[in-house]
Amino acid sequence: MIELRQLTKKYGEVAVVDGLTFDVRPGVVTGFLGPNGAGKSSTMRMILGLDRPTSGSATIGGRRHADLPVPLREVGALLDAHAVHPRRTAADHLLCLAYANGIGRRRAEEVLGLVGLADVAGRRPGGFSLGMKQRLGIAAALLGDPPVVLLDEPVNGLDPEGIRWIRTLTRSLAAEGRTVLLSSHLMSEMALTADHLVVIGRGRLIADTGLEAFVRSAARQEVLVRTPDARRLASLLRESGAAVRPGAKGALMVTGMSGAEVGDLAGAHAIVLHELTPWQASLEEAYLELTGDSVEFAANLAGAVS
Amino acid sequence: MTAYGVLRSEWVKFRSIRAMLGCLAGAVVAAGSYGYLFGMTAAREYLGGSAADRAAFDPTEPAFRALVLVAVLVSAVGVLAVTSEYASGTMPVSVTAVPGRGLLVGGKGAVVALTTLLIGPPLALLSFTLSQAALAAQGAPSVGPGYPGVPGALLGAGLFTGLVGLYGMAFGFLLRRSAGAISLGTFLLILPGMASLFPKPVARWIMTWWPSAAGSRIFAVHPGTDLLAPLAGAGVLAAAVAVLLCAAVAVFRRRDV
Repeated sequence: MIELRQLTKKYGEVAVVDGLTFDVRPGVVTGFLGPNGAGKSSTMRMILGLDRPTSGSATIGGRRHADLPVPLREVGALLDAHAVHPRRTAADHLLCLAYANGIGRRRAEEVLGLVGLADVAGRRPGGFSLGMKQRLGIAAALLGDPPVVLLDEPVNGLDPEGIRWIRTLTRSLAAEGRTVLLSSHLMSEMALTADHLVVIGRGRLIADTGLEAFVRSAARQEVLVRTPDARRLASLLRESGAAVRPGAKGALMVTGMSGAEVGDLAGAHAIVLHELTPWQASLEEAYLELTGDSVEFAANLAGAVS
Repeated sequence: MTAYGVLRSEWVKFRSIRAMLGCLAGAVVAAGSYGYLFGMTAAREYLGGSAADRAAFDPTEPAFRALVLVAVLVSAVGVLAVTSEYASGTMPVSVTAVPGRGLLVGGKGAVVALTTLLIGPPLALLSFTLSQAALAAQGAPSVGPGYPGVPGALLGAGLFTGLVGLYGMAFGFLLRRSAGAISLGTFLLILPGMASLFPKPVARWIMTWWPSAAGSRIFAVHPGTDLLAPLAGAGVLAAAVAVLLCAAVAVFRRRDV
């Protein structure tokens, strides 16, 4: 369990993290989303005691990181996969963390096996691919078998097999009852991995909700209809109070009516339907709609096109 | 989380920094070659000197001068123990494993101090041996390592290099960058070598009280009475290093990693 209470980090007058209050609960994967510069990394760094909050608090299991007696046994983190000494072997990288927390060589070898790096334990990470460094970073996070795991962009630079591996790993960590906080920019991946979402923008909380509820609340629900009699159906739908816009390949996109209502209306007027699909917005659409106002460097698409 | 665990952890880090080997090899070369060159210079002075000069000649005087130059490399060892972590970006990882910043500095300090303490006497012995060999080869008086005061000076050299290692480490924490920390550390170490550029009272003050000059008194075999006594001199260096370490801990505690 991670608890943030009015967590704030200011550099001069600029608040990078501004009064964040939320809990990250055990047993589920919590996705941590926000545009670049939203304060995700700063928040994670404050949870880990690397940055000092200007005010407010971040605690892990009720204690500040600095007060954890054996920190790696309480929380493991991957913040930056590149943060390895290029000339320190993979095994030594883990050992210098393990020893400091009373963890032995055997466990270090075990986690190297767990992430699939057992064969390169004696090699220096200077020549590792980004994917291998990500795996080494995850091995370090799991070293103390911690109940709380923080992963900042763990799938960056991974191939599809690696992405799938992270997904399975994070899901199983949560299934074991651990608290998992995961940040990523890959929305499709987040949609597959996270149960719960915390979305921030400009350092402030935008949403703290379940994945499905988030998608439902943020995006319009539309119904796609195909019919040879599109013109008549469209006017009937409008008369019944729905909004209709043209979709791709002659389809109609209907808002304000459920799929069943559209079907009933068509049936009542003996209009043949070729397709009737409730259109579920993607997490990406929901996310973009919600964070649209808080993007730091928004590209003006409209201006660019015209 | 034990002090012993942190010490082991820091040792694993220390031994995997390749530049350390370069520094230590450089220290051996510097101790040997400068020991020999200082011996040669002293021999020439002896041979070209008057009877009075010859009577006052002290063969141990050139024996340990090389250590002031060795100190530059020893200080770099201390710097690199810290700046290699900042350069590779592993400092945040280290701090999440050891959140007690004082404990982290302490563990690193213990590894740096022990290593540099242990290399001091062999380096001093190397410099001593080659300087005496140079004197003997030129026909000037020379002494052996058992000569009164020499064993003490050899041990004192360990104290000196140990303190200089910690001195470098403190600059590493304060400046976080290898280049800056090594440059500033080196400049302040060799400042007494430029004392003659200053007005006489200032020069005299530097030779007496400047930490690196005062610290080098520990390996003076015939200390004389015009400068600090060996242990007092070492005390001045130790006090300066203690102040730097306190500043390093204070800054490291306050700063975001």
